[in-house]
Amino acid sequence: MSGRLAFEFQYMNLESFQNRVLPAKNKLFRFALRFLGSEEDAKDVVQEVFIRVWNGREQMTEIQNWEAWCMRITRNLSLDRVRSNHRRQTRPMEETFDVRQEALTPHESTEISESMHRISQIIEALPEKQRQIIHLRDVEGYSYNEICEILELDMNQVKVNLFRARTTVREKLTKMNAYGL
Amino acid sequence: MDSNKIEALLQKYWEAETSQEEEQQLREWFRNHQAPEPWKETAAMFRYFDDTKKKSLDDASFNATVVSNLPTAEAGRIRKLVYNTLRIAAGVSVLCLATWFVHTEMQESADPEVVDTYSDPKLAFEETKKALLLISQSFGKAEKQARKINMFNEAQEEIKKEKPSQEQKL
Repeated sequence: MSGRLAFEFQYMNLESFQNRVLPAKNKLFRFALRFLGSEEDAKDVVQEVFIRVWNGREQMTEIQNWEAWCMRITRNLSLDRVRSNHRRQTRPMEETFDVRQEALTPHESTEISESMHRISQIIEALPEKQRQIIHLRDVEGYSYNEICEILELDMNQVKVNLFRARTTVREKLTKMNAYGL
Repeated sequence: MDSNKIEALLQKYWEAETSQEEEQQLREWFRNHQAPEPWKETAAMFRYFDDTKKKSLDDASFNATVVSNLPTAEAGRIRKLVYNTLRIAAGVSVLCLATWFVHTEMQESADPEVVDTYSDPKLAFEETKKALLLISQSFGKAEKQARKINMFNEAQEEIKKEKPSQEQKL
């Protein structure tokens, strides 16, 4: 963290909170949604994360990567909520894909939409850790170091899980392509 | 970028060996090109990632809700003050309780003579006289009883002396 940013957090007021921390809300929301499957629950978790960050703003100068820290809090709160709701694991997201484009015919749009639904199912069927890692890497574009920090895993575990996740996705995509499954 | 390079990048991607920049190149390529038939499902996968990233919260209303729920600095200060006061009060209570216990314990184990000291010397003298008189009366009674026991002992001794002389006569 740069010296200037550390200074800003040390004396964080509402304005710097709104300009620096709140913009991460969509990443936190999508990550919470990955666990909870419900937009309302995910929104509640993100609000709780921000309240915790605000209350702990004096300690933020000691944190190397505050966004990864926020993501970690999101993960922990989401898992707590999953446990307290006695949900089996995570609820699959009910996703809708808008693939309408000028260049595509209605038939092509439907075909792509169906493919995306199948990909969504493939990713939802991955083990919890692999699903989290593929989300953080392929959707949010985090570095391996950041993923290690968010999930509190070592580099080797992150790389192995990402490799396994992508291998599973590839195998299932190949089947889909070959047999239209 | 030609399709051979994309194919090589894809191979690296599946083996989880691509860098962030290379993955960005792949995303860009699939976003801007019509993928050939064998990569149709891969293209759909990158589109799925892009589409998932579009999910977002309603900016204005969400920010307003978050800000309105944040504890104000004043409330935070008050909470801190109450917390610190409670901590000090708890400490003082423990100290008072400990002092009280120690004091009670010391009183119970103290010598009764020290506890029952009279502050008035005359009263103390009278009380002492009374106590000594009581003791002397008790001594008198004890002496009487002891004299009776002594008489009994003497009688016993006399009987013992007379017994051997009678046996000799017989």
